[in-house]
Amino acid sequence: MSDRGTMVRAESLVKGYGEGATRVDVIAGLDLEVPTGEMLAVVGPSGVGKSTLLHLLGLLDRPDGGSVTIDGVAVDELDSSARAGMRNRTMGFVFQHHNLLDELDALDNVALPLRIAGEGPRRARERGLELLASVGLSDRTSHYPDQLSGGEQQRVSVARALAMRPKLLLADEPTGNLDRDNAERLFALVGQLHLKASLTSIIVTHNEEMARRCDRIFRLAPRAELSE
Amino acid sequence: MGLGAELHVASRFLIGTRRWTSVVTVTLISLLGLGVGVFALVVTLALLDGFQSGIRSQIEVQAAHAEVRPVEGRRLADPEELALVLQGSLTDVEIVQVVRGIALVSSDTDAVPASVVGRSDTDRVAVDRVLARRLSLGAGATLDLISARQRLTPMGPLPVRVRAQVSRIVDPRPGTEGGSVILPLDRAQRLLWGEEVIGAIELRDPVGPWTVGRRAREVLGADRGAVEVAGLQELHRPLLTALALEKVMIFVAVGLMLVVAALNLLCNVAMVAAQKRKDLAVMAGLGFDPSSLRRLFVLLGLIIGAAGSLLGAGLGSAVAVVLDRTGLLELPQGVFVVAAVPFRVDPATVGMVVAVALGLAAVAAWLPARMVARREPSEGLRYE
Repeated sequence: MSDRGTMVRAESLVKGYGEGATRVDVIAGLDLEVPTGEMLAVVGPSGVGKSTLLHLLGLLDRPDGGSVTIDGVAVDELDSSARAGMRNRTMGFVFQHHNLLDELDALDNVALPLRIAGEGPRRARERGLELLASVGLSDRTSHYPDQLSGGEQQRVSVARALAMRPKLLLADEPTGNLDRDNAERLFALVGQLHLKASLTSIIVTHNEEMARRCDRIFRLAPRAELSE
Repeated sequence: MGLGAELHVASRFLIGTRRWTSVVTVTLISLLGLGVGVFALVVTLALLDGFQSGIRSQIEVQAAHAEVRPVEGRRLADPEELALVLQGSLTDVEIVQVVRGIALVSSDTDAVPASVVGRSDTDRVAVDRVLARRLSLGAGATLDLISARQRLTPMGPLPVRVRAQVSRIVDPRPGTEGGSVILPLDRAQRLLWGEEVIGAIELRDPVGPWTVGRRAREVLGADRGAVEVAGLQELHRPLLTALALEKVMIFVAVGLMLVVAALNLLCNVAMVAAQKRKDLAVMAGLGFDPSSLRRLFVLLGLIIGAAGSLLGAGLGSAVAVVLDRTGLLELPQGVFVVAAVPFRVDPATVGMVVAVALGLAAVAAWLPARMVARREPSEGLRYE
């Protein structure tokens, strides 16, 4: 872990669902700081708000209260377009279910963030090929998601997350759907890429063993009883 | 950002799949719906254009292309001078002096009132088909024309009567559906006025029938005095207005099919939006902003609309051309001037139909697109 400053800062974060008497605050008054270059594991039981936290930090949702700062930018004030631009340029996502687009082959899936950023098809595909090679899938470029194994799908997903050379990698149970061997391989790959690409990574996981291999563990407890 | 990413994803959604999914099914249904609507509109308008162009051709062939006539009354003040001025400038235009009126036309079997037209370009008597049928006349028959004008005789005032032998039967001129007799100018003048009166000067320009009126106005200048010039548009305004109105009404009525097809497209795009909720959330996560997602869905609608429109327009035009050339749809002889249902494919009309279909498709896709763009990305991910 380096000490080059803070990549993510969340202060007094609140997020709930429902209205009135049925409202449930999943996250209530959460504070979190993730230094640049850190690999942070977020653990906790199901329903405690791990994914919600990741969505808030990844600008996929807006908090009901509190503030989020990413790479020095107070993101709460940004409009939807600016938030989308920040997701595209600054962040990479890996979800529990690979969430690749079924209609695109592996290469097109990986190249999609670059196409969204306005990159031409040729350069996007070149970068996609390079990324697929880096996750050991050079021979699967024209395979569609349903022609890939679960482990391969997640590796494509990791490659896609790194397409725009992000500063922040957000992974939500990346190994949740994989068998032990594949989970091991994928976690090792993420760790390797984290160092190689000088990323700040926040990884939500149920797997304590993998969480211990991260720089730090952030535990979420029911009713926001937080501990580190 | 250009449309590269949106177009790429939209086209892959529609044609990129390797399996027969519900997206493919609803896409084909929407495409066929629009295609059928455009097909129906193109064929119907080609049919209408076919009939209307026949009527316009008939007007061009049989009627005057312009007319110089008095602003008030039924006689021109100085027809010779006017004719000389027009002839001097419009050398390629046929100029005919005419006089018109009503007379009682009597044959051996019956007597009916009819239009009488005296023309300087004929020395024979002609009767149109409508009057010939009504009075059972044929070439060579004799008829009496009795004018409302009277002359004083030793027996008191008597109506003026002219006896004429029919030389030929002609097609009725547009606007003389009640029947008409065409006489040499001098005989018509004797019947209707008893002196050399010219009621109007007709102009015919086979090269530019729809513009000769404007040219005549230019020749006569602003200071035309007591005469006015009516071009083809003015001479047949009620008929031409009715034809234009008919086309608009048919377009609107048959165009409702396109509206129904567009509503079907709206439902289908909304269905795709619901099915692709997770994918849309992922794309938002990757950096698609709300306006990009909106564009993506409008593009989906436009691609379906373009494919359906082109399919319908192509097929409709081909069917219309084939039916016109082969004359497959025959018409009863004697009722219509033409032997088979005429079709005329006007590229401008087809283009307008395609443009309307594309516009409706864009609007239909816009509504679900708005809905998609309003969602937070996490909604799609949370419910996966």
